[in-house]
Amino acid sequence: MLELVGVVHRYDGRVVLDLERFQVPAGAAIAIVGPNGSGKSTLLRLLALLERPTQGEVRLDGAVVTGSAARRRVTLVEQRPVLFHGTVRENLEFGLQVRGTRRTVMNSVIDRVAGTLAITTLLGRRRHELSDGEVQRVAVARALVVEPDVLLLDEPTSSADRAAAQMLYRVLAAERAHRPLAICLASHQLEDAYRWADDVRALAEGKLAPVTPENLFRVELPPGESHAGLKHVCVGSIEVAAATDKTGPAILAVPPTDIFVSREPLAASARNVFSGRVTRLSHPRPGVVHVAADVGVELVAVITEEAVRDLGLVPGGPVVFSFKASAVRVF
Amino acid sequence: MDFLAEGFRRAFALLLSADAEVYGIARLTLKIGFLATVVACGLGIPAGFVLATKPFWGRRAALTVVNTALAFPTVVLGLLLYGLLSRRGPLGGLGWLYTWQAIVVGDILLAFPIAAALAAAAVQGVDPRFRRTAETLGAGRWRAAWTVAREARFALAAVITTAFGHVVAEIGSAMTVGGNIRGQTRTLTTAVALYTSQGDFGLALALGLILLLLALLVNVALQALQGRGTVGNA
Repeated sequence: MLELVGVVHRYDGRVVLDLERFQVPAGAAIAIVGPNGSGKSTLLRLLALLERPTQGEVRLDGAVVTGSAARRRVTLVEQRPVLFHGTVRENLEFGLQVRGTRRTVMNSVIDRVAGTLAITTLLGRRRHELSDGEVQRVAVARALVVEPDVLLLDEPTSSADRAAAQMLYRVLAAERAHRPLAICLASHQLEDAYRWADDVRALAEGKLAPVTPENLFRVELPPGESHAGLKHVCVGSIEVAAATDKTGPAILAVPPTDIFVSREPLAASARNVFSGRVTRLSHPRPGVVHVAADVGVELVAVITEEAVRDLGLVPGGPVVFSFKASAVRVF
Repeated sequence: MDFLAEGFRRAFALLLSADAEVYGIARLTLKIGFLATVVACGLGIPAGFVLATKPFWGRRAALTVVNTALAFPTVVLGLLLYGLLSRRGPLGGLGWLYTWQAIVVGDILLAFPIAAALAAAAVQGVDPRFRRTAETLGAGRWRAAWTVAREARFALAAVITTAFGHVVAEIGSAMTVGGNIRGQTRTLTTAVALYTSQGDFGLALALGLILLLLALLVNVALQALQGRGTVGNA
């Protein structure tokens, strides 16, 4: 197990990560979600042992990591990966060469991984002959051939189309079925995170968010007294009523289970009522449906399959989301 | 104008006739230049790597010293080296004063800061993701540094050619510690200065043309390397 314990990390004195404990158990599939600047990439670099935390420690299988030897068990693919000078095959050989792998073994591993990621035809090409999406696939292949215990992926599908992203998730699942491999992936696509990961964790302002990762927004709370205990906060093109006294920059969260879903506006006590269109219906587990709707911003509500049927919700169809001001979390 | 034309005629005649003295001076200049460049770059480029990548106490001061040394007057450098190598100096026992070895030492001292400062700039110019990627794939310190060097290869090639260019064109130190002795320590630059002062304009011009030719070859080699870097050999 790879873990960060009591970690506080600073850049130029500014705290960018503050985690009491972050564990990546052996064989886990973890997705870290959060807005840009929430500390996802920094967290991955610390887990990859590429940076030492300003405070706290990194442990691998219970032992505090001090040297660089443990790096051979943890591999990171950056959000915008770079390929070395040379062909794609030479790039894939890099990690195996530093491990002293024999040529015959090297070739068979590379051919297997290249086949699964559909990059066999790219093996003779150089970096300037590849698209961004192909570079990303090659970088994932380069990390997989060294068979790490922990694979860290920073937005691995940011340059991929839908089909390529699906293929990557299939390959990662197949790789985990093939051998013990923990994967920790940073993503801003919640749908992918829920579909693929066993454990979805939200990061906000360098801390693990105390709520589920849907409907998290970075906002600027207006100064001054709140009116009747409420503040109206701009989120995208809508105004959300929140029961808070705070001012300035904050994270606003609307728990998906606190959103009432209907076809028409309800006569109820909810201060937040937004009409829009269903953009997506996903089924993270049997009987449960995530309803994503564009109501000026994208919000996700969690309801049952039975409720979806009763309301006749379909992608593109009308929907109304309502939630109380007291349901809005501000931190 | 006649005087200039006559100079050029004499220069080409000397070059085409493979004049022993002219070619002897050129050979010595090349020998000194290559030796000094190899040693200065062999020490200076790794030093530049350390300056660019390793945080250590006094790093900023070291960078300032190296950058200041770039503008160190070569004649002053020669003077200091003269003091060290003269009979009464701490290195007088070597007996290197007025030998080609003394010129090599002076050229190394001249080229080392050039190699270190430019190599540091070249390495700092490499995207840090290359080092991180090498490290995350399991590379140790040396392998990761070699990966960075491969990415900076064109800039590092420019470091070597720049150091070589400075070494062969240097005159102050070569004159002071070499003494411009015919057949022993006379280099292209010291010979040009001497023959010009003696009024042998043709010979000085011939030597000057060889010097220009060397500079041209060095630049052509550099451009060829840089050209390969921009025309799809990434």
